[in-house]
Amino acid sequence: MSRRLYTLLATVIGLAFALPLLWALSSSLRGGSEIFQHISRLSWETLVPASPTLANYGALATGAFGRAILNSLLVALVTVVAGLLISAAAAFGLSALRFRGQGALFAIVVLSFLIPFDAIAIPLATLFRDWDLTNTYAGLILPGLGHGLAIFLLRQFFLAIPGDLVEAARIDGLGWFGVFGRIYLPLSRPALVSAGLTLFIFQWQSYVWPLLIGTGTDHQLGPIALANMRGQFTIDYGQLFAGSIVLTVIPLLIILRFQRHFTQSIATTGLK
Amino acid sequence: MTTPPPTSTRLPTPTRPTTPRRARLADRPAAIALAFLAPALVALLVLRLLPAGIAFVSSLNHTSLLTGETYFVGLRNYATLFTDPTFLQSVRVTLLFSVIVNPLQIAAALALAVLFTRRFAGVRFLRVLVILPIAVPPAVSAAVWSVAYRPDGLLNSLLTVLGLPPQPFLTSPGQALWSLIVLLSWIGVGYWMMFLIAGLQDIPLSLYEAAAIDGASAWRRFWHVTLPLLRRPLAFVLVADTVANFLVFAPVQMLTNGGPEGSTNVTMYDIFTRAYTVGDLSLAQAEVMLLVLLVLAVVVVQFRLLRGKD
Repeated sequence: MSRRLYTLLATVIGLAFALPLLWALSSSLRGGSEIFQHISRLSWETLVPASPTLANYGALATGAFGRAILNSLLVALVTVVAGLLISAAAAFGLSALRFRGQGALFAIVVLSFLIPFDAIAIPLATLFRDWDLTNTYAGLILPGLGHGLAIFLLRQFFLAIPGDLVEAARIDGLGWFGVFGRIYLPLSRPALVSAGLTLFIFQWQSYVWPLLIGTGTDHQLGPIALANMRGQFTIDYGQLFAGSIVLTVIPLLIILRFQRHFTQSIATTGLK
Repeated sequence: MTTPPPTSTRLPTPTRPTTPRRARLADRPAAIALAFLAPALVALLVLRLLPAGIAFVSSLNHTSLLTGETYFVGLRNYATLFTDPTFLQSVRVTLLFSVIVNPLQIAAALALAVLFTRRFAGVRFLRVLVILPIAVPPAVSAAVWSVAYRPDGLLNSLLTVLGLPPQPFLTSPGQALWSLIVLLSWIGVGYWMMFLIAGLQDIPLSLYEAAAIDGASAWRRFWHVTLPLLRRPLAFVLVADTVANFLVFAPVQMLTNGGPEGSTNVTMYDIFTRAYTVGDLSLAQAEVMLLVLLVLAVVVVQFRLLRGKD
Protein backbone atom coordinates (compact mmCIF):
# COMPACT_ATOMS: atom_id res chain seq x y z
CA MET A 1 0.00 0.00 0.00
CA SER A 2 2.62 2.53 1.05
CA ARG A 3 4.75 1.41 -1.90
CA ARG A 4 2.04 2.60 -4.25
CA LEU A 5 2.00 5.90 -2.44
CA TYR A 6 5.75 6.18 -2.97
CA THR A 7 5.34 5.47 -6.68
CA LEU A 8 2.63 8.10 -6.96
CA LEU A 9 4.70 10.71 -5.09
CA ALA A 10 7.86 9.90 -7.04
CA THR A 11 5.96 10.06 -10.34
CA VAL A 12 4.64 13.54 -9.61
CA ILE A 13 8.14 14.71 -8.59
CA GLY A 14 9.85 13.01 -11.54
CA LEU A 15 7.40 14.56 -14.01
CA ALA A 16 7.85 18.00 -12.47
CA PHE A 17 11.61 17.72 -13.00
CA ALA A 18 11.24 16.37 -16.53
CA LEU A 19 8.52 18.82 -17.61
CA PRO A 20 10.73 21.78 -18.66
CA LEU A 21 12.87 19.50 -20.84
CA LEU A 22 9.88 17.68 -22.36
CA TRP A 23 8.32 21.05 -23.12
CA ALA A 24 11.58 22.30 -24.67
CA LEU A 25 11.79 19.13 -26.77
CA SER A 26 8.22 19.33 -28.08
CA SER A 27 8.52 23.07 -28.71
CA SER A 28 11.72 22.52 -30.67
CA LEU A 29 9.71 20.34 -33.06
CA ARG A 30 7.16 23.06 -33.86
CA GLY A 31 7.13 25.96 -36.29
CA GLY A 32 8.09 29.25 -34.62
CA SER A 33 4.62 30.82 -34.30
CA GLU A 34 2.97 27.66 -33.05
CA ILE A 35 4.83 27.52 -29.73
CA PHE A 36 2.79 30.04 -27.77
CA GLN A 37 -0.51 28.99 -29.28
CA HIS A 38 -0.21 25.67 -27.54
CA ILE A 39 0.83 27.07 -24.20
CA SER A 40 -2.05 29.46 -23.66
CA ARG A 41 -4.50 26.58 -23.51
CA LEU A 42 -2.70 23.78 -21.72
CA SER A 43 -3.52 20.36 -23.14
CA TRP A 44 -1.76 17.19 -24.21
CA GLU A 45 -0.78 19.11 -27.34
CA THR A 46 1.49 21.27 -25.20
CA LEU A 47 3.84 18.31 -24.88
CA VAL A 48 3.13 16.43 -28.13
CA PRO A 49 3.37 18.46 -31.33
CA ALA A 50 0.63 17.57 -33.82
CA SER A 51 2.86 17.89 -36.88
CA PRO A 52 6.47 17.61 -35.75
CA THR A 53 9.14 19.16 -37.95
CA LEU A 54 12.91 19.22 -37.81
CA ALA A 55 13.02 22.61 -39.52
CA ASN A 56 14.37 24.34 -36.40
CA TYR A 57 17.29 21.93 -36.20
CA GLY A 58 18.02 22.35 -39.89
CA ALA A 59 18.05 26.13 -39.54
CA LEU A 60 20.39 25.85 -36.55
CA ALA A 61 22.91 23.67 -38.35
CA THR A 62 23.46 26.24 -41.09
CA GLY A 63 23.63 29.27 -38.79
CA ALA A 64 26.18 30.53 -36.29
CA PHE A 65 25.00 27.95 -33.78
CA GLY A 66 26.23 25.01 -35.87
CA ARG A 67 29.71 26.49 -35.84
CA ALA A 68 29.42 27.11 -32.08
CA ILE A 69 28.54 23.47 -31.38
CA LEU A 70 31.58 22.32 -33.37
CA ASN A 71 33.71 24.78 -31.39
CA SER A 72 32.30 23.45 -28.12
CA LEU A 73 33.02 19.86 -29.15
CA LEU A 74 36.56 20.71 -30.21
CA VAL A 75 37.32 22.61 -27.01
CA ALA A 76 35.82 19.89 -24.81
CA LEU A 77 37.58 17.01 -26.58
CA VAL A 78 41.01 18.64 -26.61
CA THR A 79 40.54 19.52 -22.93
CA VAL A 80 39.65 15.93 -22.06
CA VAL A 81 42.64 14.39 -23.87
CA ALA A 82 45.29 16.93 -22.87
CA GLY A 83 43.78 17.51 -19.44
CA LEU A 84 43.73 13.79 -18.66
CA LEU A 85 47.37 13.39 -19.67
CA ILE A 86 48.48 16.33 -17.53
CA SER A 87 46.31 15.37 -14.57
CA ALA A 88 47.21 11.69 -14.66
CA ALA A 89 50.92 12.50 -14.83
CA ALA A 90 50.54 14.82 -11.84
CA ALA A 91 48.53 12.24 -9.90
CA PHE A 92 51.27 9.71 -10.67
CA GLY A 93 53.91 12.07 -9.30
CA LEU A 94 51.83 12.49 -6.17
CA SER A 95 51.14 8.81 -5.53
CA ALA A 96 53.64 6.39 -7.10
CA LEU A 97 56.69 8.16 -5.76
CA ARG A 98 57.51 9.27 -2.25
CA PHE A 99 59.60 12.35 -1.70
CA ARG A 100 60.05 15.29 0.61
CA GLY A 101 57.79 18.22 -0.17
CA GLN A 102 55.10 15.99 -1.64
CA GLY A 103 52.63 17.21 0.95
CA ALA A 104 53.28 20.83 0.00
CA LEU A 105 52.74 20.11 -3.70
CA PHE A 106 49.53 18.24 -2.93
CA ALA A 107 48.42 21.25 -0.89
CA ILE A 108 48.86 23.43 -3.99
CA VAL A 109 46.59 21.06 -5.92
CA VAL A 110 43.95 21.14 -3.20
CA LEU A 111 44.14 24.92 -2.80
CA SER A 112 43.80 25.38 -6.54
CA PHE A 113 40.51 23.56 -6.64
CA LEU A 114 39.19 25.20 -3.52
CA ILE A 115 39.43 28.52 -5.37
CA PRO A 116 36.47 28.29 -7.74
CA PHE A 117 37.43 29.02 -11.31
CA ASP A 118 34.58 31.41 -12.04
CA ALA A 119 35.64 33.61 -9.12
CA ILE A 120 39.08 34.24 -10.63
CA ALA A 121 37.90 34.33 -14.26
CA ILE A 122 38.06 38.13 -14.44
CA PRO A 123 41.69 38.52 -13.29
CA LEU A 124 42.66 35.59 -15.54
CA ALA A 125 40.91 37.25 -18.48
CA THR A 126 42.98 40.41 -18.01
CA LEU A 127 46.11 38.22 -18.08
CA PHE A 128 44.97 36.40 -21.22
CA ARG A 129 44.25 39.73 -22.89
CA ASP A 130 47.85 40.78 -22.25
CA TRP A 131 49.02 37.49 -23.75
CA ASP A 132 46.86 37.92 -26.89
CA LEU A 133 44.84 34.82 -26.13
CA THR A 134 41.42 36.39 -26.61
CA ASN A 135 39.49 34.84 -29.47
CA THR A 136 41.76 31.82 -29.79
CA TYR A 137 41.09 28.14 -29.19
CA ALA A 138 44.08 28.08 -26.85
CA GLY A 139 42.44 30.79 -24.77
CA LEU A 140 39.28 28.72 -24.47
CA ILE A 141 41.02 25.40 -23.78
CA LEU A 142 43.83 26.34 -21.37
CA PRO A 143 41.74 27.01 -18.22
CA GLY A 144 40.31 23.49 -18.47
CA LEU A 145 43.77 21.96 -18.27
CA GLY A 146 44.71 22.98 -14.75
CA HIS A 147 42.01 21.03 -13.02
CA GLY A 148 42.77 20.21 -9.39
CA LEU A 149 39.72 18.02 -8.91
CA ALA A 150 40.70 15.73 -11.79
CA ILE A 151 44.16 15.32 -10.26
CA PHE A 152 42.59 14.65 -6.88
CA LEU A 153 40.23 11.97 -8.25
CA LEU A 154 43.05 10.21 -10.11
CA ARG A 155 45.41 10.37 -7.13
CA GLN A 156 42.82 8.71 -4.88
CA PHE A 157 42.63 5.84 -7.36
CA PHE A 158 46.38 5.61 -7.96
CA LEU A 159 47.04 5.32 -4.22
CA ALA A 160 45.22 1.98 -4.24
CA ILE A 161 47.58 0.47 -6.84
CA PRO A 162 49.86 -1.90 -4.90
CA GLY A 163 53.47 -0.74 -4.53
CA ASP A 164 54.69 -4.32 -5.02
CA LEU A 165 53.50 -4.19 -8.60
CA VAL A 166 55.58 -1.09 -9.26
CA GLU A 167 58.59 -2.53 -7.49
CA ALA A 168 58.41 -5.75 -9.51
CA ALA A 169 58.15 -3.83 -12.76
CA ARG A 170 61.06 -1.59 -11.79
CA ILE A 171 63.20 -4.62 -10.97
CA ASP A 172 62.30 -6.02 -14.39
CA GLY A 173 63.77 -2.86 -15.80
CA LEU A 174 60.70 -0.79 -16.59
CA GLY A 175 61.37 2.97 -16.45
CA TRP A 176 59.10 5.35 -14.56
CA PHE A 177 57.49 6.42 -17.81
CA GLY A 178 56.79 2.76 -18.55
CA VAL A 179 55.30 2.25 -15.08
CA PHE A 180 53.02 5.21 -15.74
CA GLY A 181 52.01 4.25 -19.27
CA ARG A 182 51.89 0.47 -18.99
CA ILE A 183 50.75 -0.13 -15.42
CA TYR A 184 48.98 2.91 -13.98
CA LEU A 185 47.03 4.10 -17.02
CA PRO A 186 45.64 0.70 -18.10
CA LEU A 187 44.67 -0.15 -14.51
CA SER A 188 42.91 3.16 -13.96
CA ARG A 189 40.28 3.16 -16.67
CA PRO A 190 37.38 3.88 -14.27
CA ALA A 191 39.19 6.80 -12.65
CA LEU A 192 40.27 8.14 -16.05
CA VAL A 193 36.67 8.01 -17.24
CA SER A 194 35.35 9.89 -14.22
CA ALA A 195 38.13 12.49 -14.38
CA GLY A 196 37.50 12.81 -18.14
CA LEU A 197 33.79 13.36 -17.48
CA THR A 198 34.65 16.06 -14.94
CA LEU A 199 36.82 17.82 -17.51
CA PHE A 200 34.24 17.44 -20.28
CA ILE A 201 31.38 18.82 -18.20
CA PHE A 202 33.55 21.68 -16.94
CA GLN A 203 34.16 22.83 -20.50
CA TRP A 204 30.76 21.99 -21.94
CA GLN A 205 28.90 23.95 -19.29
CA SER A 206 31.29 26.87 -18.94
CA TYR A 207 29.68 30.22 -19.54
CA VAL A 208 31.54 32.97 -17.69
CA TRP A 209 34.91 32.18 -19.27
CA PRO A 210 33.88 31.94 -22.96
CA LEU A 211 31.85 35.11 -22.41
CA LEU A 212 35.03 36.91 -21.34
CA ILE A 213 37.47 35.39 -23.81
CA GLY A 214 35.75 34.08 -26.97
CA THR A 215 34.02 37.19 -28.16
CA GLY A 216 34.18 36.73 -31.96
CA THR A 217 31.70 34.54 -33.87
CA ASP A 218 34.51 32.26 -35.07
CA HIS A 219 35.34 31.18 -31.54
CA GLN A 220 31.93 31.29 -29.98
CA LEU A 221 30.91 28.30 -27.86
CA GLY A 222 27.43 26.73 -27.80
CA PRO A 223 26.11 28.28 -24.56
CA ILE A 224 27.16 31.78 -25.66
CA ALA A 225 25.57 31.33 -29.10
CA LEU A 226 22.38 30.24 -27.33
CA ALA A 227 22.43 33.24 -25.01
CA ASN A 228 22.99 35.54 -28.00
CA MET A 229 19.87 34.16 -29.70
CA ARG A 230 17.91 35.71 -26.86
CA GLY A 231 19.62 39.05 -27.28
CA GLN A 232 18.43 39.44 -30.84
CA PHE A 233 15.66 41.82 -31.74
CA THR A 234 13.19 39.06 -32.56
CA ILE A 235 13.75 35.78 -30.80
CA ASP A 236 13.19 32.60 -32.82
CA TYR A 237 11.85 30.44 -30.01
CA GLY A 238 11.79 27.29 -32.10
CA GLN A 239 15.53 27.58 -32.71
CA LEU A 240 16.17 28.58 -29.11
CA PHE A 241 14.56 25.36 -27.93
CA ALA A 242 16.26 23.26 -30.60
CA GLY A 243 19.62 24.69 -29.53
CA SER A 244 18.80 23.95 -25.91
CA ILE A 245 18.04 20.34 -26.77
CA VAL A 246 21.27 19.90 -28.76
CA LEU A 247 23.35 21.38 -25.94
CA THR A 248 21.65 19.04 -23.45
CA VAL A 249 21.49 15.80 -25.41
CA ILE A 250 25.24 15.63 -26.13
CA PRO A 251 26.40 15.62 -22.46
CA LEU A 252 23.35 13.56 -21.50
CA LEU A 253 24.32 10.74 -23.87
CA ILE A 254 27.89 10.80 -22.55
CA ILE A 255 26.75 10.77 -18.91
CA LEU A 256 24.30 7.92 -19.55
CA ARG A 257 26.97 5.94 -21.36
CA PHE A 258 29.33 6.26 -18.39
CA GLN A 259 26.68 6.45 -15.69
CA ARG A 260 28.37 3.92 -13.43
CA HIS A 261 31.64 5.86 -13.42
CA PHE A 262 29.78 9.08 -12.90
CA THR A 263 28.06 7.85 -9.75
CA GLN A 264 31.35 6.40 -8.57
CA SER A 265 33.15 9.71 -8.90
CA ILE A 266 30.29 11.32 -7.00
CA ALA A 267 30.74 8.78 -4.22
CA THR A 268 34.50 9.43 -3.96
CA THR A 269 34.19 13.22 -4.04
CA GLY A 270 31.45 13.28 -1.47
CA LEU A 271 32.74 10.74 1.00
CA LYS A 272 36.54 11.00 0.55
CA MET B 1 65.78 -1.68 -20.00
CA THR B 2 66.41 1.47 -18.07
CA THR B 3 69.79 3.06 -17.88
CA PRO B 4 70.44 4.32 -14.40
CA PRO B 5 71.00 8.06 -14.36
CA PRO B 6 74.62 9.06 -13.71
CA THR B 7 73.91 10.34 -10.24
CA SER B 8 72.58 7.02 -8.96
CA THR B 9 75.66 6.19 -6.92
CA ARG B 10 76.08 9.64 -5.52
CA LEU B 11 72.68 9.91 -3.91
CA PRO B 12 71.89 7.07 -1.53
CA THR B 13 68.25 6.68 -0.58
CA PRO B 14 67.39 8.53 2.58
CA THR B 15 65.43 5.57 3.98
CA ARG B 16 67.40 2.34 3.90
CA PRO B 17 69.92 1.64 1.17
CA THR B 18 69.85 -2.16 1.20
CA THR B 19 70.74 -3.51 -2.25
CA PRO B 20 71.84 -1.62 -5.35
CA ARG B 21 68.51 -2.55 -6.92
CA ARG B 22 66.52 -0.99 -4.15
CA ALA B 23 68.74 2.03 -4.29
CA ARG B 24 67.95 2.46 -7.98
CA LEU B 25 64.24 2.06 -7.25
CA ALA B 26 64.13 5.03 -4.95
CA ASP B 27 66.56 6.92 -7.10
CA ARG B 28 66.00 10.69 -6.90
CA PRO B 29 62.26 10.28 -6.58
CA ALA B 30 61.75 14.01 -6.15
CA ALA B 31 63.26 14.85 -9.54
CA ILE B 32 61.26 12.16 -11.32
CA ALA B 33 58.04 13.10 -9.57
CA LEU B 34 58.61 16.76 -10.39
CA ALA B 35 59.01 15.88 -14.06
CA PHE B 36 55.60 14.20 -13.99
CA LEU B 37 54.08 17.02 -11.95
CA ALA B 38 55.57 19.94 -13.86
CA PRO B 39 52.88 20.49 -16.54
CA ALA B 40 50.04 20.37 -14.01
CA LEU B 41 51.87 22.56 -11.50
CA VAL B 42 52.56 25.18 -14.16
CA ALA B 43 48.92 25.04 -15.24
CA LEU B 44 47.60 25.34 -11.69
CA LEU B 45 50.01 28.12 -10.74
CA VAL B 46 49.42 30.18 -13.88
CA LEU B 47 45.71 29.53 -14.38
CA ARG B 48 44.45 29.41 -10.79
CA LEU B 49 46.84 30.87 -8.23
CA LEU B 50 48.42 33.63 -10.33
CA PRO B 51 45.03 35.24 -11.15
CA ALA B 52 44.14 35.14 -7.45
CA GLY B 53 47.47 36.86 -6.72
CA ILE B 54 46.83 39.43 -9.45
CA ALA B 55 43.39 40.15 -8.07
CA PHE B 56 45.01 40.74 -4.67
CA VAL B 57 47.73 43.06 -5.98
CA SER B 58 45.46 45.10 -8.21
CA SER B 59 42.86 45.35 -5.45
CA LEU B 60 45.51 47.32 -3.54
CA ASN B 61 46.10 49.69 -6.46
CA HIS B 62 44.13 52.37 -8.18
CA THR B 63 44.36 53.32 -11.85
CA SER B 64 43.48 56.92 -12.56
CA LEU B 65 40.97 57.26 -15.38
CA LEU B 66 42.46 60.64 -16.32
CA THR B 67 46.19 59.90 -16.46
CA GLY B 68 46.15 56.08 -16.70
CA GLU B 69 48.66 56.05 -13.84
CA THR B 70 48.51 53.20 -11.35
CA TYR B 71 49.44 53.80 -7.76
CA PHE B 72 49.26 51.94 -4.46
CA VAL B 73 46.28 52.78 -2.28
CA GLY B 74 46.39 50.02 0.35
CA LEU B 75 42.96 48.91 1.49
CA ARG B 76 41.17 51.99 0.19
CA ASN B 77 39.37 50.03 -2.55
CA TYR B 78 37.89 47.78 0.09
CA ALA B 79 36.82 50.80 2.12
CA THR B 80 35.24 52.32 -1.01
CA LEU B 81 33.35 49.09 -1.65
CA PHE B 82 31.83 49.10 1.80
CA THR B 83 30.42 52.59 1.27
CA ASP B 84 29.13 51.78 -2.23
CA PRO B 85 25.34 51.39 -2.18
CA THR B 86 25.33 48.99 -5.17
CA PHE B 87 27.85 46.73 -3.45
CA LEU B 88 25.97 46.81 -0.14
CA GLN B 89 22.73 46.02 -1.97
CA SER B 90 24.53 43.14 -3.69
CA VAL B 91 25.77 41.81 -0.33
CA ARG B 92 22.24 41.95 1.07
CA VAL B 93 20.81 40.16 -1.99
CA THR B 94 23.53 37.49 -1.90
CA LEU B 95 22.99 36.85 1.82
CA LEU B 96 19.22 36.67 1.45
CA PHE B 97 19.62 34.39 -1.56
CA SER B 98 22.09 32.09 0.27
CA VAL B 99 19.98 31.90 3.42
CA ILE B 100 16.98 30.75 1.38
CA VAL B 101 18.46 28.68 -1.42
CA ASN B 102 20.92 26.51 0.50
CA PRO B 103 18.65 25.09 3.24
CA LEU B 104 15.89 24.71 0.64
CA GLN B 105 18.03 22.73 -1.80
CA ILE B 106 19.63 20.55 0.86
CA ALA B 107 16.33 19.74 2.55
CA ALA B 108 14.78 18.91 -0.83
CA ALA B 109 17.82 16.82 -1.86
CA LEU B 110 17.71 14.92 1.44
CA ALA B 111 13.98 14.26 1.23
CA LEU B 112 14.31 13.06 -2.36
CA ALA B 113 17.35 10.92 -1.50
CA VAL B 114 15.35 9.19 1.24
CA LEU B 115 12.40 8.70 -1.12
CA PHE B 116 14.52 7.39 -3.99
CA THR B 117 16.40 4.86 -1.86
CA ARG B 118 13.08 3.17 -0.97
CA ARG B 119 12.00 0.20 -3.04
CA PHE B 120 8.93 0.74 -5.20
CA ALA B 121 7.79 0.29 -8.79
CA GLY B 122 9.62 2.56 -11.25
CA VAL B 123 12.11 3.96 -8.73
CA ARG B 124 15.12 3.73 -11.06
CA PHE B 125 13.43 5.43 -13.97
CA LEU B 126 11.85 8.17 -11.85
CA ARG B 127 15.19 8.84 -10.17
CA VAL B 128 16.76 9.43 -13.60
CA LEU B 129 14.08 12.04 -14.32
CA VAL B 130 15.12 14.00 -11.22
CA ILE B 131 18.81 13.71 -12.11
CA LEU B 132 18.23 14.69 -15.76
CA PRO B 133 18.74 18.46 -15.26
CA ILE B 134 22.40 17.95 -14.25
CA ALA B 135 23.19 17.37 -17.94
CA VAL B 136 21.70 20.76 -18.77
CA PRO B 137 24.28 23.58 -19.04
CA PRO B 138 23.35 26.67 -16.96
CA ALA B 139 22.90 28.79 -20.09
CA VAL B 140 20.39 26.26 -21.43
CA SER B 141 18.34 26.12 -18.24
CA ALA B 142 18.28 29.90 -18.21
CA ALA B 143 17.10 29.97 -21.84
CA VAL B 144 14.36 27.38 -21.32
CA TRP B 145 13.10 28.91 -18.07
CA SER B 146 13.17 32.42 -19.51
CA VAL B 147 10.47 31.32 -21.93
CA ALA B 148 8.61 29.42 -19.23
CA TYR B 149 8.56 32.57 -17.05
CA ARG B 150 7.18 34.80 -19.82
CA PRO B 151 3.77 36.38 -19.08
CA ASP B 152 2.28 34.00 -21.68
CA GLY B 153 4.69 31.16 -20.79
CA LEU B 154 4.34 27.64 -19.48
CA LEU B 155 4.17 28.52 -15.79
CA ASN B 156 1.39 31.05 -16.10
CA SER B 157 -0.67 28.65 -18.17
CA LEU B 158 -0.12 26.01 -15.48
CA LEU B 159 -1.32 28.53 -12.87
CA THR B 160 -4.40 29.27 -14.98
CA VAL B 161 -5.22 25.56 -15.14
CA LEU B 162 -4.96 25.43 -11.35
CA GLY B 163 -7.30 28.41 -11.11
CA LEU B 164 -4.62 30.83 -9.89
CA PRO B 165 -3.97 34.35 -11.19
CA PRO B 166 -0.97 34.82 -13.54
CA GLN B 167 2.23 36.10 -11.93
CA PRO B 168 4.84 38.61 -13.18
CA PHE B 169 7.81 36.38 -12.11
CA LEU B 170 11.04 37.91 -13.48
CA THR B 171 9.69 41.42 -13.89
CA SER B 172 8.66 41.81 -10.26
CA PRO B 173 11.23 42.91 -7.63
CA GLY B 174 9.43 40.69 -5.13
CA GLN B 175 9.41 37.54 -7.27
CA ALA B 176 12.53 37.64 -9.45
CA LEU B 177 14.89 36.21 -6.80
CA TRP B 178 12.41 33.45 -6.00
CA SER B 179 12.07 32.66 -9.70
CA LEU B 180 15.85 32.25 -9.89
CA ILE B 181 15.80 30.04 -6.77
CA VAL B 182 13.23 27.72 -8.38
CA LEU B 183 15.29 27.53 -11.58
CA LEU B 184 18.53 26.84 -9.68
CA SER B 185 16.88 24.19 -7.52
CA TRP B 186 15.61 22.46 -10.64
CA ILE B 187 19.26 22.22 -11.74
CA GLY B 188 20.84 21.52 -8.36
CA VAL B 189 18.59 19.33 -6.25
CA GLY B 190 19.06 16.19 -8.35
CA TYR B 191 22.82 16.66 -8.33
CA TRP B 192 23.13 17.02 -4.56
CA MET B 193 20.64 14.18 -4.13
CA MET B 194 23.12 11.85 -5.86
CA PHE B 195 25.75 12.51 -3.16
CA LEU B 196 23.22 11.86 -0.40
CA ILE B 197 21.99 8.67 -2.09
CA ALA B 198 25.59 7.43 -2.20
CA GLY B 199 25.82 8.18 1.54
CA LEU B 200 22.50 6.53 2.37
CA GLN B 201 23.52 3.37 0.55
CA ASP B 202 26.57 3.12 2.81
CA ILE B 203 24.46 2.84 5.97
CA PRO B 204 24.19 -0.82 6.99
CA LEU B 205 20.61 -2.12 6.91
CA SER B 206 21.24 -4.03 10.17
CA LEU B 207 21.22 -0.71 12.06
CA TYR B 208 17.68 0.00 10.88
CA GLU B 209 16.60 -3.53 11.74
CA ALA B 210 18.04 -3.20 15.24
CA ALA B 211 16.29 0.16 15.69
CA ALA B 212 13.01 -1.31 14.46
CA ILE B 213 13.31 -4.20 16.92
CA ASP B 214 13.85 -1.65 19.68
CA GLY B 215 10.54 -0.14 18.61
CA ALA B 216 11.90 3.11 17.16
CA SER B 217 9.42 4.94 14.95
CA ALA B 218 10.31 5.83 11.35
CA TRP B 219 10.92 9.43 12.39
CA ARG B 220 13.21 8.41 15.30
CA ARG B 221 15.10 6.03 13.00
CA PHE B 222 15.67 8.90 10.58
CA TRP B 223 16.76 11.25 13.38
CA HIS B 224 18.98 8.83 15.31
CA VAL B 225 20.32 6.50 12.62
CA THR B 226 20.17 8.17 9.21
CA LEU B 227 21.16 11.73 10.06
CA PRO B 228 24.22 10.97 12.25
CA LEU B 229 25.57 8.46 9.74
CA LEU B 230 24.95 10.86 6.87
CA ARG B 231 27.06 13.55 8.53
CA ARG B 232 30.01 13.42 6.14
CA PRO B 233 28.12 13.52 2.83
CA LEU B 234 25.74 16.11 4.30
CA ALA B 235 28.63 18.33 5.37
CA PHE B 236 30.15 18.01 1.91
CA VAL B 237 26.89 18.84 0.16
CA LEU B 238 26.28 21.76 2.50
CA VAL B 239 29.63 23.32 1.67
CA ALA B 240 29.76 22.47 -2.04
CA ASP B 241 26.21 23.74 -2.54
CA THR B 242 26.92 26.96 -0.62
CA VAL B 243 30.02 27.60 -2.73
CA ALA B 244 28.16 26.80 -5.97
CA ASN B 245 25.40 29.23 -5.05
CA PHE B 246 27.90 32.02 -4.34
CA LEU B 247 29.00 31.65 -7.97
CA VAL B 248 25.63 31.84 -9.70
CA PHE B 249 25.98 33.97 -12.82
CA ALA B 250 24.54 32.73 -16.14
CA PRO B 251 20.83 32.81 -15.14
CA VAL B 252 21.18 36.28 -13.64
CA GLN B 253 22.99 37.67 -16.64
CA MET B 254 20.56 36.07 -19.09
CA LEU B 255 17.24 36.56 -17.26
CA THR B 256 17.27 39.60 -14.99
CA ASN B 257 20.55 41.53 -15.42
CA GLY B 258 20.56 41.94 -11.67
CA GLY B 259 17.16 43.62 -11.65
CA PRO B 260 14.44 44.54 -11.26
CA GLU B 261 15.59 47.27 -8.87
CA GLY B 262 18.75 45.35 -8.03
CA SER B 263 16.71 42.55 -6.44
CA THR B 264 18.81 39.81 -8.10
CA ASN B 265 22.19 41.57 -8.16
CA VAL B 266 24.18 38.68 -6.66
CA THR B 267 27.96 38.96 -6.05
CA MET B 268 29.19 37.38 -9.30
CA TYR B 269 26.97 39.62 -11.38
CA ASP B 270 28.00 42.67 -9.38
CA ILE B 271 31.67 41.85 -10.00
CA PHE B 272 31.01 41.38 -13.70
CA THR B 273 29.19 44.71 -14.14
CA ARG B 274 31.76 46.51 -11.98
CA ALA B 275 34.59 45.22 -14.18
CA TYR B 276 33.03 45.58 -17.62
CA THR B 277 30.08 47.96 -17.50
CA VAL B 278 31.26 50.40 -14.84
CA GLY B 279 34.86 49.71 -15.86
CA ASP B 280 36.44 49.99 -12.41
CA LEU B 281 38.72 46.98 -12.52
CA SER B 282 40.49 47.64 -9.20
CA LEU B 283 37.23 47.71 -7.30
CA ALA B 284 36.07 44.59 -9.15
CA GLN B 285 39.32 42.83 -8.18
CA ALA B 286 38.77 43.81 -4.54
CA GLU B 287 35.34 42.22 -4.78
CA VAL B 288 36.88 39.11 -6.40
CA MET B 289 39.22 38.88 -3.40
CA LEU B 290 36.31 39.14 -0.97
CA LEU B 291 34.51 36.35 -2.85
CA VAL B 292 37.59 34.09 -2.86
CA LEU B 293 38.12 34.68 0.87
CA LEU B 294 34.46 33.98 1.56
CA VAL B 295 34.62 30.70 -0.36
CA LEU B 296 37.82 29.64 1.42
CA ALA B 297 36.20 30.48 4.77
CA VAL B 298 33.23 28.27 3.93
CA VAL B 299 35.61 25.43 3.03
CA VAL B 300 37.51 25.83 6.31
CA VAL B 301 34.17 25.42 8.08
CA GLN B 302 33.70 22.19 6.15
CA PHE B 303 36.99 20.78 7.40
CA ARG B 304 35.97 21.72 10.95
CA LEU B 305 32.62 19.95 10.46
CA LEU B 306 34.30 16.83 9.10
CA ARG B 307 37.00 16.69 11.78
CA GLY B 308 34.32 17.02 14.48
CA LYS B 309 33.47 13.74 16.15
CA ASP B 310 35.00 10.75 14.42
